[in-house]
Amino acid sequence: MTESVLLVEGLTKRFGGLTAVNKLNLSITSGRLHAIIGPNGAGKTTFFNLISGLYTADSGRVLFKGRNITGLKPYEISRIGIKRTMQIKSVFPQLSVSENLWVTRNATNGVLHPFRSASSDHATRERVEFTLEQIGLTPLANRAAGTLSYGDVALLEIGMALISDPQLLLLDEPTCGMSPAETARTVDKIKILAQTIDIVIIEHDMEVVFEIADDITVMTQGENLVSGSPAEISGDERVREAYLGRPEDEDYVEEAAHA
Amino acid sequence: MTMSLMMIRRAMLIAFIVALIAVPWIVPALINKFWVSVIAEIMIWSLFAASVNLLFGYVGLLSFGQALYFGFGMYGVAIGISTLGLSFWPAFGLGIIASVAIAFVAGIFAVRLTWHYFAIITVVFSLIFYFFAVSVKAVTGGDDGINFTLPPTFSFGGYTGSFSNETFQYFFIFAAVAFCFFLMHRVIQSPLGKAFVAIRDNDTRAELIGLNVYQLRLIAFVMSGFLAGVSGALFAFFGRYASASYMFYHVSGEAVVWAIVGGAGTLLGPIVGTTLFIVIREVVSTHWEHHSLIVGVMAILVVILAPTGLVGLWNERLARWSAREKVPATRTSLQSEP
Ligand SMILES: Nc1ncnc2c1ncn2[C@@H]1O[C@H](COP(=O)(O)OP(=O)(O)OP(=O)(O)O)[C@@H](O)[C@H]1O
Ligand SMILES: [Mg+2]
Repeated sequence: MTESVLLVEGLTKRFGGLTAVNKLNLSITSGRLHAIIGPNGAGKTTFFNLISGLYTADSGRVLFKGRNITGLKPYEISRIGIKRTMQIKSVFPQLSVSENLWVTRNATNGVLHPFRSASSDHATRERVEFTLEQIGLTPLANRAAGTLSYGDVALLEIGMALISDPQLLLLDEPTCGMSPAETARTVDKIKILAQTIDIVIIEHDMEVVFEIADDITVMTQGENLVSGSPAEISGDERVREAYLGRPEDEDYVEEAAHA
Repeated sequence: MTMSLMMIRRAMLIAFIVALIAVPWIVPALINKFWVSVIAEIMIWSLFAASVNLLFGYVGLLSFGQALYFGFGMYGVAIGISTLGLSFWPAFGLGIIASVAIAFVAGIFAVRLTWHYFAIITVVFSLIFYFFAVSVKAVTGGDDGINFTLPPTFSFGGYTGSFSNETFQYFFIFAAVAFCFFLMHRVIQSPLGKAFVAIRDNDTRAELIGLNVYQLRLIAFVMSGFLAGVSGALFAFFGRYASASYMFYHVSGEAVVWAIVGGAGTLLGPIVGTTLFIVIREVVSTHWEHHSLIVGVMAILVVILAPTGLVGLWNERLARWSAREKVPATRTSLQSEP
């Protein structure tokens, strides 16, 4: 299957004199897990912010399944089925864990009943309970989200993405701040998800990237340096150059290449 | 929330409602008749403070212009009765429709903004209409206002229900205010109410999960205009007059203090705050003309010592107490507590 779920053409975003995303071209193939890597400040998060409508592009366009979504409002893009998690973990701190999931589910449905009590909505309740199990947060269901550990917030973010039945899921460093055990659990979850949902993941952890990605795009200075299979990327001279000065990452690239 | 916490809360709520129902008999016997109408007035102003609370406590928008919608409710009733010759219910309806309509128009502009920009634009709107109301004396009576004779509420068979009967007046106000609080309670517990709180907590995230934040803020703004409008209409009935002075921002500001001191984001916070300050006013102002000094000091103390307001503080205490009693108290969100 080579149908492209997301097609990005000449996407550009400037902040004053700084061009954070520079004439970016990218095609995300449906059914393949796509990882975006690149040094700090390469414009990866800005790219996600452009796709999800938080920022307006200065030029270029984004097509989702052939539909031009450039310039749509974030909630409209969300309702089309593009969901994301944030690099700086972001939930509703005063709502409980299950209320976070609840409100996310209802937001996707687009129906916000003004009078029916939330607890009488059985379909949503079952789905919330199911998702709590999926992300392993059932014991914390009634805790205010603001009191969770960083790793649990990250899991909750993934749960919120899940419960909204996305077609395309954008994950911005989902394992950042997680313990090794949590990371392993999350990676497993992402692998399972990728079987049914199209996923784009920004990730700094090269071990994770080379474990799960079908395709990899390397971004530097707002541009698409190279896209290709993990093997192609690990053998690419330009990628090594881009990562010079970041020896740990280079090691990972090498390790993964020999694995 | 555990069963026992819920039962304590429910029992207190029932006791509170029963006490309010008993007021027309108990209060004249224990204190004097005058306090029955003070309590009726407290209920009206509590509803007004609730309109601030719905916006600030649940959606995170601090309005300093709620007096505008209160004023429209008041003038809808007064102009309806004295100028248009309407009877009770159509005048009531006119007051409510007028305040909801102006809230809708103002909201279209106001909810594009947040934080202090929002606060400023709400003040500006209310000031514009305040000066307008003062200047078109022919219609509004300006600062002198409009006095009118109140038509009966209804007559059924031989019985005529009218505000000239103080007990009837009290119960009408009680029923109207209680109904509005009930509506608000339902909304807060509903998916819509949860979406409000989500926006208050994190509006970027709310937008990303698919909530139309602008539209929801506008809905909340209009609902809050409705609550303010009903309270203004009731106050017009209660005082048999309307005056532009009630549209001044000073009136809006008082409601903000009442709501925050009582506990923003709690259903009953505005009632507690309003009661506290009106009782202080009634008791102290007869002895000392600088009673607003006490009000100011108290407001500052509460904001510093109990940032979640008096009801918030009480909820925390109750939760802690119940945890100590070895009742496994999982604190759910503040929002689902009364
Ligand atoms: N809202 C903004 N205003 C101004 N500059 C911004 C803004 N957002 C991002 N930038 C700048 O754009 C550049 C790209 O930032 P971005 O967050 O997209 O990088 P990133 O690839 O996600 O980096 P990291 O790996 O550290 O998360 C950086 O130089 C950043 O300072
Ligand atoms: Mg980033």
